[in-house]
Amino acid sequence: MEMGPPKNAVKFLRWFCREDYVEEIEGDLTEIFEKEQKQSPRQAKYKFILSVIKYFRPGFIKPFKRNHQTNHQAMLRHNFLLTFRNFKRYKSSFLINLIGLSTGLACTFLIYLWVSDELNVDKFNKKGSRLFRAMEHRVRATGIWTSQTTSGPLAEALVSDMPEVEYAVPTSWPQPTTLSLNDKNITAVGRLAGKEFFNMFSYELIAGDANQVLTDKNSIVISDVLARKLFNTTQNVVGKSIEYQHESPLMISGIFKSMPVNASDQFEFVGSFEKSKEGQDWLLSWGNTGIQTLVLLKPGINVEAFNTKIADYIKVKTKNEITYRTLFLKGYADDYLYGKYENGVQVGGRITYVKLFSIIAIFILLIACINFMNLSTARASRRIKEVGIKKAIGAERKALVVQYLSESMLMSFLSLVVAMFLVYISLSQFNMITGKHLVFELDGNRILLFLGVTVFTGLVAGSYPALYLSGFNPANILKGRLSSSFGELMARKGLVVFQFSISILFIVSVLVVYKQIEFVQSTNLGYNKNNLIYFNLNGALRDVKIQETMLEEMKRIPGIENASSTNHNMTGHNGGTYGVEWPGKNPEDKTEFERMTVNYGLIETMGMQMVQGRSFSRLSGTDSSAIIFNQKGIDFMGMVDPIGKVIKLWGKDRHIIGVVRDFHYESLHENFKPVFFILEPNNTYRIMARLTAGKEKGDSQQH
Amino acid sequence: MTQHTLGEFEELVLLMVAAHHDEAYGVIILEGLEDKLKKKVNISAVHVALKRLTDKGFVKSRYGGITTDRGGRRKKYYTITALGKKMLDSQYSLRTSIYKQIPKLSFG
Repeated sequence: MEMGPPKNAVKFLRWFCREDYVEEIEGDLTEIFEKEQKQSPRQAKYKFILSVIKYFRPGFIKPFKRNHQTNHQAMLRHNFLLTFRNFKRYKSSFLINLIGLSTGLACTFLIYLWVSDELNVDKFNKKGSRLFRAMEHRVRATGIWTSQTTSGPLAEALVSDMPEVEYAVPTSWPQPTTLSLNDKNITAVGRLAGKEFFNMFSYELIAGDANQVLTDKNSIVISDVLARKLFNTTQNVVGKSIEYQHESPLMISGIFKSMPVNASDQFEFVGSFEKSKEGQDWLLSWGNTGIQTLVLLKPGINVEAFNTKIADYIKVKTKNEITYRTLFLKGYADDYLYGKYENGVQVGGRITYVKLFSIIAIFILLIACINFMNLSTARASRRIKEVGIKKAIGAERKALVVQYLSESMLMSFLSLVVAMFLVYISLSQFNMITGKHLVFELDGNRILLFLGVTVFTGLVAGSYPALYLSGFNPANILKGRLSSSFGELMARKGLVVFQFSISILFIVSVLVVYKQIEFVQSTNLGYNKNNLIYFNLNGALRDVKIQETMLEEMKRIPGIENASSTNHNMTGHNGGTYGVEWPGKNPEDKTEFERMTVNYGLIETMGMQMVQGRSFSRLSGTDSSAIIFNQKGIDFMGMVDPIGKVIKLWGKDRHIIGVVRDFHYESLHENFKPVFFILEPNNTYRIMARLTAGKEKGDSQQH
Repeated sequence: MTQHTLGEFEELVLLMVAAHHDEAYGVIILEGLEDKLKKKVNISAVHVALKRLTDKGFVKSRYGGITTDRGGRRKKYYTITALGKKMLDSQYSLRTSIYKQIPKLSFG
């Protein structure tokens, strides 16, 4: 059977081969092929292909460059000239396009700045991949609860028991503290930490040695900013002594450079954790939690394997006494974005918002592009004669596509300039809303990204008009007959529908967010949150007598209706205990009750409602052994007529004098949890005060 | 312009073009070479040589008429130019003159 030469090889030859040789070569090859085919078709085919490949060499390949270079330049100049004339002639559509594209780009860039900042939080630590925070899953009546609080002995035990651990340090949460130098008192946010703290983190020490700064328990390392606040200099500060909480003198052993603004832990000094163990026995027992434990693993340790190893660690350490706490390590930097746990399972966190906003950014950009497309195609009739004439005098379709693409590209670059300006002027406002410290710095990556986005925008925005306008039939245009096909109409309508539905989606989302905020602000928390202020007591003010005097003084101020003190900040879980015992309690039950130590009058100050019984009262005299629960607490204990009943708290009898209506102190997503109130004025260090409505400013400020 | 040189294979192809006067095209040259040399030659080598010879001005080409053979492709016929002929002549005389200097040797 006669067969032609292999088609693909011929196609390939015609594609690459110079036009002045292709006919001769193809002819000769075909002739040879036809002759050889009679003997062995397969071999002939093979030889044909091989020969074609042999022609794939410089002498026979088509030149890549066209020899129209000068023409290209002229065309480019021509295109830009036309573009400018069009901008000038149709100023309104030019402005609409410019505003649309530049706001779209500006939004996208702002979101990009936010997203990249979010993704970089806590990423400044050089040993970040080995840096972990010990956390615990705890089984509670309401489900598994995941907490960052750990027990005091954990850090030391991990270092001595686990060879995988390089360092482990206990540390407190950064909190405001009073530091004094002579007569100067300063409130600074600081934390206490174990001695290897500076070996684990990349906080740069300006003075002092990372191995030694925290070895002495009376030492303190301060930030350069704090040093300037206290001493007006960072020179010769090491070795000086400052007073901590009006209690004890501490010696400055080092100065660290303030951490970057995108660190989740912000603090101005680090004291020795050893110091805090004095007089705080709860830190020595496995039964209490309340501090963080940070762990640096040795290089090459698989954290998942290590987590399986330490899961039962607390059970083992307490000899099966505490069985409801599962220990695990979590990447220190991961916690910021992946911080949310539901029933012991990691369910996202801020990363949800990061993803959401990235998607929104893309959609905003798309809307801007579609807006551009619609405007250009809708005003196509203005340009149609131009297209017709150009085509009639022999312009290729490609040339027209290039013309419209260069027009949209120029548009998007103009928008880039405007967008940069918009970002620049709106950044401080944006920082205020987002609580960030974003700076508009252009490094190589950002420039590349911005240019990339702009080119992409130009291409996408220009693609449809370019293809649409250049596709017209010149004869029809010049005769004035312009008919859009069904497909074109559908495409345009589809774009409009897409643009509008996304815009509506965004508007509805904003309304929903607005309603949500309104709901959060107006919902009844179970106490009256209006005109309620609180502040922490530091240093000498923690003394119960001074506190008492202060509260009395405050109540006399006309602008203040009521004032009291508590340990609780009412905005989240502060501390709890399972040391509540009642008749019929399951001995295995380790459900924690939220603990609120309060002063007289707190329940009244907060505007909480008593469902049964009474609140603490100075008249009774026995209230130091009394206890008040919330409704959830009473329900949980299964009591029917609670008033007067006696329960045990930490082994001591306490009689129930009242029941408070359930109130929210955590996220509104959380269910009510059992809470108890005990009267211990010496364990309160937050003043809650109710200001008189309408007099929030003024009187109270004068005092 | 520099003096063009002639490679060995190019010389053979040029000889073939001259031998098949006015009838020389790719396949004929290829077959002639294969016949004389008693070995397989690839057509691409012939085309490369022809291209170089054309560039050097030793041959010129013209297209034949369209036939139904060869997939309808025209043949490209090559003829030797005066310059090509001169080159062949000088090569030939160079070789014979040197050859004549060889003393009569016998390899018994």
